[in-house]
Amino acid sequence: MSLELETLPKEQTIYDQVIARGVSRREFLGFCAWIGACIGVQGAGVDQVVKALETKKRIPVIWLHFQECTCCSESFLRSSHPIVADILLDKISLDYTETLMAASGHQAEQALQDTMAKYKGEYLLCIEGSVPLAEDGVYCCIGGKTAKGIAEEVAEHAKAIIAWGNCACSGCVQAAKPNPTQAMPIKKVIAGKPIINVQGCPPIAEVMAGVLVHLLAFDAIPELDNLGRPKAFYSRRVHDTCYRRPNFDAGLFVESFDDENARKGYCLYKVGCKGPTTYNSCGTIRWNGGVSFPIQSGHPCIGCSEENFWDKGPFYERLPNFPGFGVEATADTLGQVALGAAAVGVAAHAVMTNFRKRNEIGEQTGENAEKAETADAAATDDHSI
Amino acid sequence: MSTRIVVDPVTRIEGHLRIEAEIKDGKIVDAWSAGTMVRGLEIILKGRDPRDAWAFCERVCGVCTTVHALASVRAVEDGIQVQVPPNAELIRNIMFCAQYMQDHVVHFYHLHALDWVDVVSALKANPAATSTLAQSISHWPKSSPGYFSDIQKRLTKFVESGQLGIFANGYWGHPAYKLPPEANLMAVAHYLEALEWQKEIVKVHTIFGGKNPHPNYLVGGMPCSININEANAINAERLAMVGDLLKQGQQFIEQVYIPDVLAVAPFYLDWAGIGGGLDNYLCYGDLPTNGFSDISSYKFQRGAILGRDLSTVHPVDPRDDTGIQEFIDHSWYEYEGAAAGLHPWKGETKLKYSGPKPPYANLDTDAKYSWLKTPRWKGHAMEVGPLARMLVGYAGGNAEIKDAVTATLGALNAPPSVLFSTLGRTAARAIESQLAARWSLDFYNQLLANIKAGDTRTFTREKWEPSSWPKQAKGVGTSEAPRGALAHWIVINEQKIENYQLVVPSTWNASPRDAKGQRSAYEAALIGTPVHDPQQPLEIIRTIHSFDPCLACAVH
Amino acid sequence: MNASHDYQRVYVWQQPVRWFHWINALAIITLGVTGWVITHPPALMNSGEAWTSFWFGKVRFVHFTSGYVLLANFLVRIYWSFAGNKYASWRNFLPLTKAQLREVWQVLKVDIMQSSDKAVHALGHNAVAYFTYAATGLLTVFQVVTGFALMAPTSQSWLPRLFTWVTPLFGSEGAVRTYHYAGMWLFVIFTFIHVYLVFYHDYVEGHGVMSSIIGGWKFMEKHKIAAQEATGISGLPTKSRQTGSRPKV
Ligand code: HEM
Ligand code: HEM
Ligand code: NFV
Ligand code: SF4
Ligand code: SF4
Ligand code: F3S
Ligand SMILES: [Mg+2]
Repeated sequence: MSLELETLPKEQTIYDQVIARGVSRREFLGFCAWIGACIGVQGAGVDQVVKALETKKRIPVIWLHFQECTCCSESFLRSSHPIVADILLDKISLDYTETLMAASGHQAEQALQDTMAKYKGEYLLCIEGSVPLAEDGVYCCIGGKTAKGIAEEVAEHAKAIIAWGNCACSGCVQAAKPNPTQAMPIKKVIAGKPIINVQGCPPIAEVMAGVLVHLLAFDAIPELDNLGRPKAFYSRRVHDTCYRRPNFDAGLFVESFDDENARKGYCLYKVGCKGPTTYNSCGTIRWNGGVSFPIQSGHPCIGCSEENFWDKGPFYERLPNFPGFGVEATADTLGQVALGAAAVGVAAHAVMTNFRKRNEIGEQTGENAEKAETADAAATDDHSI
Repeated sequence: MSTRIVVDPVTRIEGHLRIEAEIKDGKIVDAWSAGTMVRGLEIILKGRDPRDAWAFCERVCGVCTTVHALASVRAVEDGIQVQVPPNAELIRNIMFCAQYMQDHVVHFYHLHALDWVDVVSALKANPAATSTLAQSISHWPKSSPGYFSDIQKRLTKFVESGQLGIFANGYWGHPAYKLPPEANLMAVAHYLEALEWQKEIVKVHTIFGGKNPHPNYLVGGMPCSININEANAINAERLAMVGDLLKQGQQFIEQVYIPDVLAVAPFYLDWAGIGGGLDNYLCYGDLPTNGFSDISSYKFQRGAILGRDLSTVHPVDPRDDTGIQEFIDHSWYEYEGAAAGLHPWKGETKLKYSGPKPPYANLDTDAKYSWLKTPRWKGHAMEVGPLARMLVGYAGGNAEIKDAVTATLGALNAPPSVLFSTLGRTAARAIESQLAARWSLDFYNQLLANIKAGDTRTFTREKWEPSSWPKQAKGVGTSEAPRGALAHWIVINEQKIENYQLVVPSTWNASPRDAKGQRSAYEAALIGTPVHDPQQPLEIIRTIHSFDPCLACAVH
Repeated sequence: MNASHDYQRVYVWQQPVRWFHWINALAIITLGVTGWVITHPPALMNSGEAWTSFWFGKVRFVHFTSGYVLLANFLVRIYWSFAGNKYASWRNFLPLTKAQLREVWQVLKVDIMQSSDKAVHALGHNAVAYFTYAATGLLTVFQVVTGFALMAPTSQSWLPRLFTWVTPLFGSEGAVRTYHYAGMWLFVIFTFIHVYLVFYHDYVEGHGVMSSIIGGWKFMEKHKIAAQEATGISGLPTKSRQTGSRPKV
């Protein structure tokens, strides 16, 4: 009843499929240039993209879902430029994803096994969600198996791994304190495989698409930063690409939401913007086809492409709470308390010193207590030449 | 002799759902629904700043993104007693409607359609006949023979490539598929169109909330300022874009989604008698038109229906200690006096797995078997969702809802009783999408009128500083998420979250049975469902999909 | 109390030390103030256009420039702790000898517990003071390291880029900022106590501590100097004791 993979004719290249779909060669080349620009290549590099897409068949992709909210999948579906969206559908062969696949239960598991067997060492493994390690993994089971077991099994013969979103890259919200299920990012669960961390909660659709295209076009892992994020999309801070930056430099700040300054689009630094410490493409690519991004719509960046950003709140304060203390112990409170303590100490000390000094002077000037008063006043002079 | 089958993973849903079912003589005689993933959000929220809670809650689910943020800011605003300005309410309502449109369309085409549509059969369709069919049901311009022929070629190429992707191992050719090839081809075309379309309508969220999934909210209003004389705020251009998006959204729903539902339904009228399940329906209501605290102003009504009795709508009070309660008799949690149900303000969340050690073949369904808690209203198992909303609105005499339901029933030439079914749920979803699309434009026009009258406020600062809050506060934020009645309960102590409990639509519907053995909606709806081939769970996922499951929501 | 003839002038703080001190103090005050403003920018303007001003940018510029000054000055002081006189020596900053440890105890007894028996009369700093200055030095290093680490990602210049390894150590830039900010508080507290103690010692001991950091000279009773020479406390055994006449540097 289900279609047999084996009986089907030869595999086609992406180019074949695109052209067969009525996309002109000019449009195709335009797309290649766009993708090239996204992943930072020009000239001869673009030719390489063209060549790769012309000659390659669709990469088999297995997309696993663990502890997640599925909005990385949702974001992926929002990839914007129409031609790009089409090509992405035809460029990869999404052989397993619980969100969209027709088959359920045993048939779904079979599809997974088939792809793993047929494309051993060739398939790309995408993982959305974190893997809970507490209690031997019972906090996330699929088909009766733990997420950890599945991840290890499928990763073994994967060509490379893409960790989608903050969940797979750093555990996201479920790993926020106290991380009740010991939710772990993929890099803590799988070793010995290249892992590309596509950060964000969720990542921008075009970033997700761009990373896939890079892998396909160059057959190589893109350059990554020290947190494993592709530099093409995560090498600049939101702050450095933010169109409100001139307001920051001019010291023009929103003091409170919807105040006069908010209505003029001033900088959101004082209402907690994490743009200065957040690496993402929101300021350049923006969201949903370039329509806007959090700051443009008046809300400070909450730092959603950074590790453990949930525990660096509160979101409406710029500096995170000081680690190791109660939630409200910001550096300010601690500093003020310490300074207060120092002031009290100094005051007490000064008073005591005064008494001691009086005594010393009293001893030196004899028993006459009345004279001590004068001596005390002259104390500084006494020592000068 | 009955056989037990397991469907795990149930796909084309959000999250990790496992169904075990007992089949006898080609029909399901008993069923168990289990959520197999948990994150512990209610534990994680403790001790945090209530103003941050919306962002945590929003990450409960990226499919119904926004609704948890909305319920959360409402819960906090209810607790600290602050009313948001009218524009904030309108913007929230517009975003709410946009969410309905996107979520329901994606559900119908991308999550549910393959239960009814045989993609492979579409290869055999006659494009000209498909065009005739399409033009007979709608004015939608993309309907020429050439268009369908191109789609068919594209599909053929795809299949010939040998890489079937998401269509691999589907149930193609199963006798439960009833559509003619032409209807299948039309549906495939709309599957692809809907994929394009859904990324447009969410731009409404991007404009007001900065991104989608997971747009931004704010306790006390909305973060997007309005200033029609400024490039950096919601101005005429932004508003025009919202207007256009909503209109285009409405067009797609009225010219593609609704006609498709009406065209497909007649082939599956037997499913109007399958999958009814529970007889009780619950709604909190939503879309306030005079502030969240004025329940009578809601577009979706609040109320409960018991025993399919449409003559009475029972009042529902989410603050009532004995109204809504959660039980853990079959759930992997523990607390003192675990037999008692807890009202969410007193709710406890302590994970305690006691199921079989993975890998396992079956759950011990006599004992605890799910990460979902079991919510009950005055002891009753309740179904929530589009069907509940349409029924409560219908029974409550809401004219707009009544008209919409009547029109659909008229088009199908069917009595209201068909609503209590798998097909009824799917139809109710389409009906309310139409309403949401229409209402979104009403809200939009009202927003324009407000701005024109000089009111541009979107946020109130009044209770922003936690120092202005009472030492102790309790709040409840209710909403009607696409999948049904949603509420968050918060207890604030000394400006921090002391307790936070979510009772989510899919928690109501997908939960395990209670101590009395009463089944929740999924389990009840599966009873009596025919299963042609126990190896192929097509009928099971049909009924389950009619609820649009979201397990990340359900467990959180 | 007209015992002034008992006193002897001792040239304690050579010029580089004094220059260091005041440049350091100025840099730290500037960094503290600008750093504070970076964290809590005042609502200076309620309206305006971005092109009309750059004041926040300037504040940050001053902060970064002072950061370079702080570092350069600190390096000079390190050099001088090898090249300078015994009061400037690096050895003083680490209480390693038995005598130094004993002195630490003495000072604590006198300064904190206010026991008046064996007051320590140091020509250089007393051992505790040296030790706190060593801690201050570490704090300076910490601020320099975290500060340059914060500059590294957006800097084109080689120096900040030497510090790219720092942020991963802290986990995130947010964390680096919090610690850097906390460092500011430590400096505030240090300065507060430091200045108090300078006044305190001047008041209690009367050796011209306060003016010494400007002029370089301290004044002490000859017998006390002799006692110090004998015990070797506060100041390591002398190579060339400079008294009376103004030395070269
Ligand atoms: C930001 C403010 C200041 C800082 C960071 C600071 C720091 C220091 C440091 C590091 C030393 C040790 C110098 C060395 O051995 O190289 C020192 C010594 C000294 N400082 Fe400051 N200082 C500050 C302000 C002041 C002020 C305002 C005064 C004067 C009222 C002062 C008076 C002195 C004196 C007198 C010494 C020598 C102490 C002794 O002989 O025990 N300092 N200071
Ligand atoms: C006494 C030493 C210093 C103090 C008290 C100090 C204080 C501060 C403070 C309070 C901040 C604001 C932190 C925040 O709110 O995010 C800051 C930021 C910063 N400091 Fe320092 N700092 C010191 C030394 C340095 C040094 C040596 C450098 C290196 C050049 C440096 C570079 C920076 C940078 C790059 C920032 C971030 C500014 C921005 O991106 O807006 N600091 N400092
Ligand atoms: N159940 C559920 Fe949701 C919805 N609709 C939320 O409240 O999907 Ni994720
Ligand atoms: S990273 Fe964020 S957006 Fe993606 S699945 Fe996790 S919670 Fe959802
Ligand atoms: S809004 Fe945020 S990211 Fe933009 S300039 Fe201000 S602080 Fe930087
Ligand atoms: S919150 Fe996330 S979406 Fe961009 S602006 Fe900040 S990284
Ligand atoms: Mg709950």
